[in-house]
Amino acid sequence: SPNEHKLNFKKSKEACLSYIQDALLQQQWKRAAEFLTCYVESLEKDYSREHIGPSEMIWRIGTEILWHHSQSSMKEFNCFMEQMKTLGVKRYLKVCLEHVFHLLCNGQIDEAYQNLSLAESWRFGEQTAIQDKEMKLVQAYRGLLDYCSWSKQKNILLEQGEDGFSDLAVEQEMHGYFRKAAVNLKEIIKIPGVWDVFVKCYVDLLEFYGDHNEARQVLNEYAYNSKFPANPNAHVYLCQFLKRQGESKKSLISALKILHDIVPSHELMIDFNTMLQKSKKRRKRRLGLEVIFAALDYAGWKENAKAWSCLARQVKQIVISEKHLDWVKQEWNSRKDWWPAFHFSRYLAKRNWQENKSLSYEKALVAGILLGKDCKYFKYVSHQGCKAQLKRFRMLKKFVNRHNPVCLRISG
Amino acid sequence: MEFPAALFPSYFCAGPPREEGGPAPLAGWGEHGQVLEGGPGPRQVQPAFVPRRGATGERWEATDAAAVPVLLPSVDYWIPSPAPQDILYRSSLCRKLRAGKSGATLDFARQLGHFFVDHPEDAFGSLGRLLHKNFYLGNAKLKRPARNSTIRMTALVEDINRLEARRGCPRQHLASRLRWFSHLCRDWLFEVPLELLADCLHEELTQQWSNLLFDDSLTGGALAWLPPEDGRTPVGCLVHPGGQAMNHLYFQDVVLEELPHARGSPAQFELSGRVRQVAAARVDGQDFVGVRSDYHCGVWRVPGKTGAAPNPLQVIRTDVPVSCLTVSPHLPGELSVCTQSGTVYLWSVETGLQQLRHDPQTMFFRDYSPWRWSDFTAHPRVLSCGDRTGLQCLDARAPKRCHFDLFKVGEEAGCQQGERVVLPMYLGRAHPSQYLVTTQFSVYVLDERLPMVPVLKWTHMMKAPPLFAHLMPGKPGRSHKVLLGASRTQELLLLQYRDSFWGVSSGGSQSACQLVGTPQKLHNIAGCLQHLPTQLPHRHHLLQQRLAAPAAGLAATLQEDGPHKSMLIFQLSEAGDVFCQRLTHKETQPPTPPSREEATTPSPAVPSPAAALRYRRWLKALSRVCTEPPRHTWPPSLSQRRLFARRDLEGPAGPSSLQRQMRQRLRQTMQEGGRIQRWEPLALQPPPLPQTLELPGGPDSLSTRLTAAWAGDWEQWWEERTSFSVAQRQRALRERRRRQKRAHGHRSLSASFTSSLTYQSELSELSDTGPSLLSPGRPLTLSQEGSPPAGSPPVRSPPTSPAPDEALLSSQSLRCRGIPKERRKTLRDYLSVWAEGPPEPPEPPGSQASQLCIPSSQSQLSSASQPRRKRPRMGF
Repeated sequence: SPNEHKLNFKKSKEACLSYIQDALLQQQWKRAAEFLTCYVESLEKDYSREHIGPSEMIWRIGTEILWHHSQSSMKEFNCFMEQMKTLGVKRYLKVCLEHVFHLLCNGQIDEAYQNLSLAESWRFGEQTAIQDKEMKLVQAYRGLLDYCSWSKQKNILLEQGEDGFSDLAVEQEMHGYFRKAAVNLKEIIKIPGVWDVFVKCYVDLLEFYGDHNEARQVLNEYAYNSKFPANPNAHVYLCQFLKRQGESKKSLISALKILHDIVPSHELMIDFNTMLQKSKKRRKRRLGLEVIFAALDYAGWKENAKAWSCLARQVKQIVISEKHLDWVKQEWNSRKDWWPAFHFSRYLAKRNWQENKSLSYEKALVAGILLGKDCKYFKYVSHQGCKAQLKRFRMLKKFVNRHNPVCLRISG
Repeated sequence: MEFPAALFPSYFCAGPPREEGGPAPLAGWGEHGQVLEGGPGPRQVQPAFVPRRGATGERWEATDAAAVPVLLPSVDYWIPSPAPQDILYRSSLCRKLRAGKSGATLDFARQLGHFFVDHPEDAFGSLGRLLHKNFYLGNAKLKRPARNSTIRMTALVEDINRLEARRGCPRQHLASRLRWFSHLCRDWLFEVPLELLADCLHEELTQQWSNLLFDDSLTGGALAWLPPEDGRTPVGCLVHPGGQAMNHLYFQDVVLEELPHARGSPAQFELSGRVRQVAAARVDGQDFVGVRSDYHCGVWRVPGKTGAAPNPLQVIRTDVPVSCLTVSPHLPGELSVCTQSGTVYLWSVETGLQQLRHDPQTMFFRDYSPWRWSDFTAHPRVLSCGDRTGLQCLDARAPKRCHFDLFKVGEEAGCQQGERVVLPMYLGRAHPSQYLVTTQFSVYVLDERLPMVPVLKWTHMMKAPPLFAHLMPGKPGRSHKVLLGASRTQELLLLQYRDSFWGVSSGGSQSACQLVGTPQKLHNIAGCLQHLPTQLPHRHHLLQQRLAAPAAGLAATLQEDGPHKSMLIFQLSEAGDVFCQRLTHKETQPPTPPSREEATTPSPAVPSPAAALRYRRWLKALSRVCTEPPRHTWPPSLSQRRLFARRDLEGPAGPSSLQRQMRQRLRQTMQEGGRIQRWEPLALQPPPLPQTLELPGGPDSLSTRLTAAWAGDWEQWWEERTSFSVAQRQRALRERRRRQKRAHGHRSLSASFTSSLTYQSELSELSDTGPSLLSPGRPLTLSQEGSPPAGSPPVRSPPTSPAPDEALLSSQSLRCRGIPKERRKTLRDYLSVWAEGPPEPPEPPGSQASQLCIPSSQSQLSSASQPRRKRPRMGF
């Protein structure tokens, strides 16, 4: 019966797909390609209602095979992609984008630019929401490539400027690239998303042409608009911008404070801490202590010698001056039940000593102050240090012993 | 630790997933996803772009044709878990239906029938006994006087017997006699009300069926590999469950040679539940191994030295099944536990349990699944907790106030409709702030510094949801490897990804997280069947069944021996088999090789001689296990060694004078054909304080009825209730009044408890109260049903206080007294007339047993924590 035939056709299609999948997962590209040529038949009777139809399958499998197949060439790949673009209207932009990505990864920037321009001019009835998004991406990537050309021209001009003459045509061309890039980049970064590359490029353009207000607005929007994800880079870019603009310490600190609130483990926290340390205000110095304590809570900072030296310096200052001991005490209170096991175990003392002497020095200082001279970490490291006749470590031992009563006030 | 300077572009929308869902067979191929300018050398003219997916990765090749068994099959016979055909309805009609659209039909009626046939006593016990005399099953005609109270059931039974043959017959309704009978007796025939029984059975069946479709109790996997401390000695430890019920935990030392093999005998622990998950983490050079079964979790410590004995540390017990147990990679002896009721605990061996959250509802939207998961994050005090709808991170110091959403099934992560979280895993060993989340469709890598937006997403295309994952962190500059494993289909998939952490920080620009290389399918256990020697057909079938058992765990290790890098992957099946395979790293060829030939990686077609030898040995051991008759077909026997101490079983050196006296009296009375009204010896003084066990106010009618039913005397109770002999009742009343007068005080329960254990010494003390509890007006017929069967001793629940007669009745005491076996029954029958004990005190029957095997405090644990290699039985 015809029904039976249909069923069998469907079944054989499924079997063919599973063979292809098997071959792909075992990286047998040749075998997969042979099966794919059989599968192409399935386009003939495409009654499927699945959300991934045979044409998309062929595109995906074919692309994967051509990426890896030893006998494939870029020319063949381009040819295949052109065919795939005509195969499905719904997927046209997606296939275009993927084609462009592949060209970009293979260094064929000009071809990629041409493809993007073609894709941008594509029109077919009403666009779906997904197509709308894809179109915006196409434009954004074109903007990115325009930016690349712009910066190339800019570098040429700068080099020429050094030599003392300028080329008006190159400058005109550069401004043209700027306009094209700015229009497209501006569009995409209005939509909520992660647009690190596009924002960076757009801000660079604006800064070059001296539109600092617009740049600041863009960066503020990218960092503080609640519709955007909490992207640490948005804050980093803003801070970098503020630094470049030579803004006041205050605005920089407030921007970093927000970064500290969302990502206490960000690597900028060391800079933030040093900045706060230098401040004359007590409140800021206290914040600095909080920042460095919070950063060292994270597993990724465990062996960060720089962070430990920041903390050690600050705590040492407090102990010597015997002022603001309560700051340390308060920070220590919420950590004293787990920091000893997390940072100051005997095992870590041994390992730190073997791997990084200066790290173990800083940590031993902090441990000696926070936990007293009987702490395992301090005892082990100072003992090893004295045994190795290192002056630093002898001084450390002396310091902790001398200030032990103060230290006890912190830990007690 | 640095955050990547630029991330791959992506849209961000809030809300429920918009993309239509469904399994997409090949949706993971052929896509770069996005590109990013990577490593722009300032002098370089062209910017270089890197893709999110599709960059070249490392090449790993299998060294053998199939996975090879690591351990010999255990001596216990394996009982396969139920298959679909066991609980699904099979008929032509149903097949037609299924070919249409509807899902599976559970064979409810068959299962209910099985219950009635297998447990008739539990199903119809009391009424069966009651109606015993009124139902006639013979073929002869009933005589007139009997016909008044008896009906003939033969035809009905014949109808029932014929029923099986008529299964699926469209004219089934013709069995009117059956319909009539079932209509008549549906309300009263069953011991357990039919609706209740059916509800319970149906619930169980749907549970079994949903477990067959997707069993999430195995999430996380029950296999762990503890690598050697220094990495130089090639001996690690494999932690895996085994035994018939998978309730034994083994710590097996394994030598990693070309084919890994076991060294020495494993340290073994017997647990009181099926091991569902084994989780391990290394802190400060020591391994902490957490073990989860349904209602218990335990933690072991394994010192770093090879060959050191594992130390059991602590056990917790829960009322609700536990669905997750993870071990902290930051602090020694810290674990996180989730129960199915939605409670998350931080469990510290030193300070105990701390409840972080209790919420029976799912987090982001409503989902019926009670499954919960929890893991650690980069901050040792912040835990992630998740359910099928997403993940949240909460601070253990202020769990109510401080929390943030890490992952959500929604448009934020570009999920599909119907997508659900299957397994979250902290990737701390590769990158301190990264997280893996698998769903049935995709894998996501998340960075907790940028929550909600996955830094990596890929459609994994696995046929079953990946319940197991294993991370093998790569050295700086190299890719990390993630293994995904499914349970039912045994699929194993190897992925490689690169994070920004180890990237060479050149010019301050680091690439974001990217998937590299192509995903690779690895051998599974079932795949080795074709390489095994040919078997007899039925053996082949058994073997196939065993090898195709769902996977239960996954572990792996990277081995670096100079330039040779290899990867060993262990897979555990539900049958308790551990198989392994080795992959070796192949250096990538220079970018433009002179001869561009097919770079496929065909694994060898036939197993190596060493592997073949391993197969033969394994098969030999397996056939020994299989030919041994499975134990469960033996007639059930109960070992008394564990129930009674040796002292209890030891008979008295000789009969005491009291016993001699009793025996003489018994003999005399039997000769005379009389009966003994009271057991009390004539020469004894009356005890100072007569005690009764009656509860204040006397037992109510329900409890007497239940007591009678329990003892099998329901018929007598019924007759008593309905008998017309008022005189008898009056006498009973009088007797009771007399007893109440005599009772000056109530005996305490604890006293009765001790008396049950030392009955012999207190025989005299009890001897006069026992008989006084009997109702003398009892008719003197010997009831057949009431007497215990000859083979089995009467069941004695320890907390009750038996009357001395009952003490005498127990077969041990009878044996102790030298009464020959054949006469014990006669005696018991005879005595049973009188041997009605006092009503049992309301003590839950299991309480004594649970006290014996579950430690109430750590004291018992500490005794078990001595480093012994020989099967310490833990209360677990």
